[in-house]
Amino acid sequence: MYVMEVLLGITGKDFTIIAASKAAMRGASILKVNDDKTRPLNKHTLMAYSGEAGDTVQFAEYVQANVQLYSMRNSTDLTPYETASFVRSELAKSLRSRSPYTVNLLLGGYDPIKDQPQLYWIDYLASCANVPYAAHGYAQYYCLSILDKHHHPDISFEQGMKILRMCTDELKRRLPIDFKGVIVKVVTKDGVREEPYEDDKQVLAP
Amino acid sequence: MDALVAQYSRPAHQEGFADEDQQQLTADIQPPLSLKFALPPIASSQQWLRAMTDDNSNPNCPIKIAHGTTTLAFRFKGGIIVATDSRATAGNWIASQTVKKVIEINSCLLGTMAGGAADCQYWLAYLGMQCRLHELRHKRRITVCAASKILANLVYSYKGMGLSMGTMCAGVTPSEGPALYYIDSDGTRLAGNLFCVGSGQTFAYGVLDAQYNYDLSDEDALELGRRSILAATHRDAFSGGFINLYHVKEDGWVKHGFTDTNGVFWDTKLNKGEFSNVTANLD
Amino acid sequence: MASLFNAQSMLDQPSYSFAQPTSHSEPRQHSFYPYTDNGGSTLGISGQDFAILAGDTRSTSGYNINTRYAPKLFKIGGDGPNNTGSKIVLSVVGFAADGRALKERLDTVVKMYKYQHGKDISVGACAQRLSHILYSKRFFPYYVTAILGGIDEEGKGALYSYDPVGSYEREQCRAAGAASSLIMPFLDNQVNLKNQYDASQPQGFGKEPLKPQPLSRPHVESLVNDAFTSAVERHIEVGDGLQMMIITKDGIEETYAPLKKD
Repeated sequence: MYVMEVLLGITGKDFTIIAASKAAMRGASILKVNDDKTRPLNKHTLMAYSGEAGDTVQFAEYVQANVQLYSMRNSTDLTPYETASFVRSELAKSLRSRSPYTVNLLLGGYDPIKDQPQLYWIDYLASCANVPYAAHGYAQYYCLSILDKHHHPDISFEQGMKILRMCTDELKRRLPIDFKGVIVKVVTKDGVREEPYEDDKQVLAP
Repeated sequence: MDALVAQYSRPAHQEGFADEDQQQLTADIQPPLSLKFALPPIASSQQWLRAMTDDNSNPNCPIKIAHGTTTLAFRFKGGIIVATDSRATAGNWIASQTVKKVIEINSCLLGTMAGGAADCQYWLAYLGMQCRLHELRHKRRITVCAASKILANLVYSYKGMGLSMGTMCAGVTPSEGPALYYIDSDGTRLAGNLFCVGSGQTFAYGVLDAQYNYDLSDEDALELGRRSILAATHRDAFSGGFINLYHVKEDGWVKHGFTDTNGVFWDTKLNKGEFSNVTANLD
Repeated sequence: MASLFNAQSMLDQPSYSFAQPTSHSEPRQHSFYPYTDNGGSTLGISGQDFAILAGDTRSTSGYNINTRYAPKLFKIGGDGPNNTGSKIVLSVVGFAADGRALKERLDTVVKMYKYQHGKDISVGACAQRLSHILYSKRFFPYYVTAILGGIDEEGKGALYSYDPVGSYEREQCRAAGAASSLIMPFLDNQVNLKNQYDASQPQGFGKEPLKPQPLSRPHVESLVNDAFTSAVERHIEVGDGLQMMIITKDGIEETYAPLKKD
């Protein structure tokens, strides 16, 4: 079921865009249409998650609490790279335990020291890759080709949103399940903000 | 593995109690809600339990656990409506037509049960206890948000063991107003305005979604809840019996009857002309 | 705590538009099977100031009859090994060994309650306790269907029925075990007067359903007799003898009547 959940990430010149589908699906029903599958970890990192029901929120809130605890103890935030390493190691530990978390993640951030956006693709097997753009679930099969064609490292925010629109339109066209649109969040040097995103427009396959 | 062997192999000489069950017998006397559960003496206890009790995947399973069925709850301007049917089935056998699927946790909090009847009954009673303890410790009533999280974390800790429950927590507290949460045995916990849970959920959603509006009057909201359950009992064989209706308001919940679906059905059909698939000819 | 089985679907690929060959895996067999069904049936009906529990006394395994007298009704609480003066009865049907274990456990709990509190346990409390005992074996269940009868604190007959893992409900009547599907519909009709209408009133859609009234003790006893003699006619696992326990404020009266032995 959770391969139907959409997670998208796009970096650009000075931003990272994270988009996550809004539907909470269980069996034959959509239980919620404004579900937020993201958690801010600190000022400059945002984590989006999909996967086994229950595991997702438990893991995300666990990571969130520990990253925030680090900030309080050390009066300094983990950089996106450090956060990704921490998350990966926690997933790797869990994978080798009796009851692993089945959670896929996108970790978007902005490194205020290097002054550049960051995006990490992490899956439940604790693979971690630093990438310019990423997707999870079925969205990979539709969106990566679009991103391969249209993405450049130094695109502006407006261009990034335009590519995101191409991706979500394609998903609406071809994905068999209505994922109820996406929540879009942007990480820049000023922190995490939610970007209003219009997704009530119907897109039909030609 | 060593731990498992150690647990079940007996020393040659033994004093006192012979086995765990007998020890449990004495332990029984102390804790009223013991959280220690007996497990079968094999490695794959989870698959074993499923083979013994899951009548969905194995219709010939020896132990048929009673399952509950259609429940709904929605938030509106006058509070929260909670409605359920009352049928419990074990396989194809209707085990009961008079199950109380709304569990009164306290005067301002309601829980609903779908899935394993015993799981819901036991853990919502446990939740009730935790809520009361919270009240005594903090000198104020627990929020629905916190109560639902206690339950979600609890069932999450048993994930994969075979618990089966889809429940909703509805309540009104001064700090959060009317609040509604969905919790299931996967560990999912969602806040929302409207939920239907159980095998009849799709039928209930059909009626409820079409006419739901946040600004419904109290009477209309109660009627909509009743009608949605009726729709589910009519189309879903695992739902039926009586319609149990509750209205949660600022100063606690009010019960609005435990009405036989049969009467409600004929009333709806004959007075409103609905259910035209059913003939009303007596000859 | 995700199970690894679900990880399978993580590898899901988008499917082709035409069917692909699929592999069918055999359902897993479990060699650990600690249960057997000993057949038989029980039934309970509560009245205004009494409760009656009844059960046949045949014990079977498969098509064999182990014995013709194995009681399914147990007195709970009271004094000593014979439970003198007890006012609670437990009936268990299903796997007899689990039933016996359950009875021993509940009996101990009830006796310890009196030892610690200096008073008899109420049926309501006993019923909840039984539920918790059953639920404590949620992951390794007792293969039993239990019915508990007694007199509540208002002096009314009380009857509680259970599923194998402890969901329970107070009811007017309940049949359990092998012939429950034969007896329960009869009880619905005769005790709760389901689908019975007032013949003196106008018929049609608005016809007046009969309201269930508390039944007298002789009436209930004859219903129990009819239920069992009928079940014996149509179910192979029921027969031999009918044991009945009638709980009133004065204690428990026990009766035994023969049933057909073929």
